[in-house]
Amino acid sequence: MLLKTKKLMKAFGGLKAINKVDFELPANEIRGIIGPNGSGKSTFFNLVSGVYEPDPGSYIEFDGNDITNEPPHKVGELGLARTFQLLRLYQDMSVINNVMSGYHTLVPYSFIDAVTGRKKIWDQEKTIKEEMMELLSFVGLADYAELNASELSGGQRRLLVLARAIAGKPKLLMLDEPAAGLSPVNVDNLMKILMRLKEKYGLTLIIIEHILKVVMDTCSKVTVLDHGEKIAEGTPTQIKDDNAVIEAYLGKKMDDEEMRKALAV
Amino acid sequence: MGKFKEIIRQYPFLGFVIAFIILMLVPSVFFTDLYQSHLASLICINIIVAAGLNIVKGFCGQVTVGHVGIYAVGSYTAGCMFLYLGSGLWLTLPAAILIAGLFGVAFAIPSFRLEGPYLALATLGGGEAIRLFIENGDFFMSTYGISNIPQPEIFGVPFDTPDKYYYIAMPIMLIAIYFSFSVLRSSVGRAFMAVREDPISAAASGINVKKHKMLAFVLSAMFAGGAGAVYAHLPPGYIHPNNYTVIEMVTFLAMVVFGGLGHIWGGIIGAIIITIVYDLTRPLYEYQLFIFGLTIVLTILFMPKGIGGFIDKYFIDRRFKTKTGAASK
Repeated sequence: MLLKTKKLMKAFGGLKAINKVDFELPANEIRGIIGPNGSGKSTFFNLVSGVYEPDPGSYIEFDGNDITNEPPHKVGELGLARTFQLLRLYQDMSVINNVMSGYHTLVPYSFIDAVTGRKKIWDQEKTIKEEMMELLSFVGLADYAELNASELSGGQRRLLVLARAIAGKPKLLMLDEPAAGLSPVNVDNLMKILMRLKEKYGLTLIIIEHILKVVMDTCSKVTVLDHGEKIAEGTPTQIKDDNAVIEAYLGKKMDDEEMRKALAV
Repeated sequence: MGKFKEIIRQYPFLGFVIAFIILMLVPSVFFTDLYQSHLASLICINIIVAAGLNIVKGFCGQVTVGHVGIYAVGSYTAGCMFLYLGSGLWLTLPAAILIAGLFGVAFAIPSFRLEGPYLALATLGGGEAIRLFIENGDFFMSTYGISNIPQPEIFGVPFDTPDKYYYIAMPIMLIAIYFSFSVLRSSVGRAFMAVREDPISAAASGINVKKHKMLAFVLSAMFAGGAGAVYAHLPPGYIHPNNYTVIEMVTFLAMVVFGGLGHIWGGIIGAIIITIVYDLTRPLYEYQLFIFGLTIVLTILFMPKGIGGFIDKYFIDRRFKTKTGAASK
């Protein structure tokens, strides 16, 4: 198992944002996480990536390491990358610098090398830059490399966030609503790029998404959260027909009689 | 010309050697009296402080208003080492850098929990506390100040007049700039910027936010400490607590802001311009703080990236246009 949580818990005051979630994810899978707003999807991401500290009794394991109480940068170093719902781009940095800072953990030279400014650093920086330019052209942003990230359009920003997360060559990539706010054409484009990246870098993916088409088309398995609890898990077709899921998220199934009553009011 | 540029890019050290030779020739060509040399040394010192301040403020985004306190620590380390041990610049400079670095650690700790204006208040308190501690300490000669701090000698040649001291201050400045360039153009500089832009997503990329804040504070404190020591030995070798007030801090901030926050050349350009303006407006002493405060406000309002921003924008626009043929806004 690449990622495993046991009895994952997080309470904010009296609200149990995540309540005893057991989650297992084998390598090379694409997993979707769905659930209504406030069901704890993003909290789950924040717990796994170390942004929040889980409540006592929880256990999180990533790639054989116990990361339950590790700070976020340690989790990042181990090869777990994520994106944020609010993107959190480095607005005032150039596009290429955005991506290159995603490469941080793999930079081969030491701090002392950097301070003394030896020539070998410039050579290594050049190679890193070339590699990152390749990644940028892969997502289609190579022409914008020198522009500030704040000058990109909404769709381009989502691609840049993706590129930045992948720059560090992670084993697991967690995407928090990658397609939110995109037009249908852009959603398709994003998903195409995502699938190509997955193949190229051998990624394992977890995707939170409200656009069900994306989840149903791309994910091999789906986990459904509601009020901080895992209420279902299975293949997209199983999930579609699961009564608990339908009630919590997709909307209640009505028979003809009920429908007539509801419309009559 | 293009080939020359490529060589400089490959061997940045060569660029500094050329700059050194040019700057060595400047006094004999341009300077007409001793005062101009004195001002040139002062510019060199201010450039060191501004380059350091640019690391922590411009690149790492930590608002510190206590830097003048660390500058004072550097100066008084040098002053006290002369007073009690009789040391010269070659001993006091490394000592000042080291001790200022330790103070940098102390200034970094509040930044782990405080942000923006709150951090500014905390560091302002720290800087002022250092000044008041010096002013009221007999060990530091309190309000008498320390005088007759000697100028260094090289192979028995004393550098004891302003025109000669320039040849001490200038190379030290070049070395400082070289270090700041090396750091800021490497992955460390990028990590600083990432911490400035968004600490949470920086951490998600595996950047240790606390470590980099600490690094930025310590590095920039070392710059300020070194500059303080060079200032202490500047002829006539006199330091007084009044040289390290909030007014000086505002001037340092004005340099960095005016030159362009987060722009490598920014602090340097700003330091040159502001030091000269500061000197020209000396007759208007009462209004100086007003002038520099206003400069900061107007710069932030009308050109938030300072002069450096303009330069950057020009080059990037040109490159972007040639690449895509697009009309840039």
